[in-house]
Amino acid sequence: MGEGSMATKETKESVMRKPKILVVDDDPDLVRALRLRLRAHNCEVVTAGDGYSVIATAQKEHPDLIILDLGIPVGDGFVVLERLQSSDTLSAIPVIVLTARDPQTNEERAMKAGAAAFFQKPVDNDELLNVIRVSLPHRRSPEVPMLS
Amino acid sequence: MESQETRVLLIEDNPGDADLVRLRLIEGHAGVRVECANRLSDALISLSKEVPSLILLDLNLPDSRGADTFRKVMEKAPNVPVVVLSGQDDEALAIKAVHQGVQDYLVKGDVSSKQLERAIRYAVERQALLRSLEMVRKQQIEFKNQFLSHVSHELRTPLTCIHQYVTLLLDGLAGPVAPEQSDHLKTVLKSVNQLHAMIRDLLEATRAESGKMRVEPRCVSIGELIQQSVAMMQPTAREKRIGLEMGLDHRIPLVCADPDRILEVLINLMDNAIKFTQAEGSVIVKACLAEADPDFVYVSVTDTGRGIQPEARALIFERLYQDPDAVDNNRSGLGLGLYICRELIRLHEGRIWVASEPGQGSTFTFTLPIYSLPRLLAPVITYEGQLRPAFVLMRVDLEPLTSPPRGNWREIWQVCLDTLRRCVYLDKDLVLPPVATSGTAETFFVVASTDMQRAPIMTTRIREQLTRVADLNAKATLRITTVPVGLAAPDPGLSLEKQVERVADRVTEMIMTGLQEN
Repeated sequence: MGEGSMATKETKESVMRKPKILVVDDDPDLVRALRLRLRAHNCEVVTAGDGYSVIATAQKEHPDLIILDLGIPVGDGFVVLERLQSSDTLSAIPVIVLTARDPQTNEERAMKAGAAAFFQKPVDNDELLNVIRVSLPHRRSPEVPMLS
Repeated sequence: MESQETRVLLIEDNPGDADLVRLRLIEGHAGVRVECANRLSDALISLSKEVPSLILLDLNLPDSRGADTFRKVMEKAPNVPVVVLSGQDDEALAIKAVHQGVQDYLVKGDVSSKQLERAIRYAVERQALLRSLEMVRKQQIEFKNQFLSHVSHELRTPLTCIHQYVTLLLDGLAGPVAPEQSDHLKTVLKSVNQLHAMIRDLLEATRAESGKMRVEPRCVSIGELIQQSVAMMQPTAREKRIGLEMGLDHRIPLVCADPDRILEVLINLMDNAIKFTQAEGSVIVKACLAEADPDFVYVSVTDTGRGIQPEARALIFERLYQDPDAVDNNRSGLGLGLYICRELIRLHEGRIWVASEPGQGSTFTFTLPIYSLPRLLAPVITYEGQLRPAFVLMRVDLEPLTSPPRGNWREIWQVCLDTLRRCVYLDKDLVLPPVATSGTAETFFVVASTDMQRAPIMTTRIREQLTRVADLNAKATLRITTVPVGLAAPDPGLSLEKQVERVADRVTEMIMTGLQEN
């Protein structure tokens, strides 16, 4: 655990910028832990704690990927998914749902609403990182770096 | 009840008896309306039109006799109180009816209008009381299940936080960790994982109790599942110096099972076996066939542990059962594991049981249905003792546009499968259980009782419905191909069973060649 970085350091032309991940959760302690872990994997992390600020933050920061909790205040995760999907500029950003809610009643709904993956908390870190890796738009993560 | 009219449905074929009862009813009480039916079939029609306050029932009618009569009436109108009108000579039957849920009985020719009125009033009120008790009981169960479900979700939030910070420390992301500290952290992580497993079990047991547990059977190799689960449990076994082995018969046919859930059952049984076996003991996992039960594969987990007392064997699969000897061993768990196993196996239409000799060890065995195409096909491709005239094999390919990890697609594929199932006629078409393919594309097969002229109607319907599956268009390309199932002229001497087997063989052959070509 811990060796794989999310961004390749160099390509032929230029230095790649780090993938930017927007972490959305109303539990600041969890957000802090996720930020530490993602930074250790060479990602830039921005955060939001409620449904309202997600859209504004996403528009301002242009993240490459969003990790979204469903049970957040001011418009829950499904409202956020809907807004992201209906936005021209934001609908292409992959969203990974990370929630305490029951997958049996929420996973299908989230996937239908446009989520790229669904995880129930607590999540295995390696699994989460793997899915982040494959969900990131290809131009910024050509391959899993530790393999190359 | 007093202010409303009491509607009585009198089911009685003897006109004399019917008139007498009607007369008694009307002279006893002004607010009674009586409707008569002299056959069971008429009564059932009347019951589907209007629900009466009470049914007065003669058990012996021209079209139904005895216990059958009240069973059918109660099935049709489960919430309506029934009072049986019995002859002098069949009081025993009337008493039996009372045991099975009829409210009361009256002996014909022995009834005054006062008695009749009281019997009706009591029957109606008792029934209402029973219904409200039943409703309260259901509400309480529902409340308890909702509470448990809520609690197990709420517990996840702090658990996630603990898990995240412990792994942060362990992975050295918050600075270097001394070896001793690392050991302590690993102990914390182990307990966190135990707590996580308990929360999962709690929710799973709640689901099982409220009928919300789901399995998604596919056509799978039980041998592979056993190998996978043994590999996962090997470290635990090694740590306790217990030999963990497999006994696989390679002629074991494929089974119809949900691979994830069966893996769960296997791991649970192995975990118990290892837990209750002393060091240097052994645990063996086997799969075999039983001659007496040809439709199932038998899977067993045998240990050389201390065994289970006979009186515990009957209780071991019940919820919250704890082995009394294990309670002083700390961490005995919630007592839900075997209950969940039993419910999962039951959903697979299999059985699970235990055989044990105290001091010698235990063998837990469960059965899974063999994947048999003829058995799946028989009800849909035959009609009135004959094979239907023509069949088409339809192949639906979904090829992902990108290559995400398979796990993320499962949900989408399941939605596709459910959609397909809704597109076909249940009585004459069959969506085959998904075949585990090694490629990235998902392929579904449908055997349809139709010919090539009419097949396009079905492909259009399937295409329309599948393209409505949210996001599928953006994620995968869809291809549907249809091929007639070519059969040689049927040998008239062949039994229906053999003919079904022929179709099944032909379909299997077509699927196999189709998959190889890809």
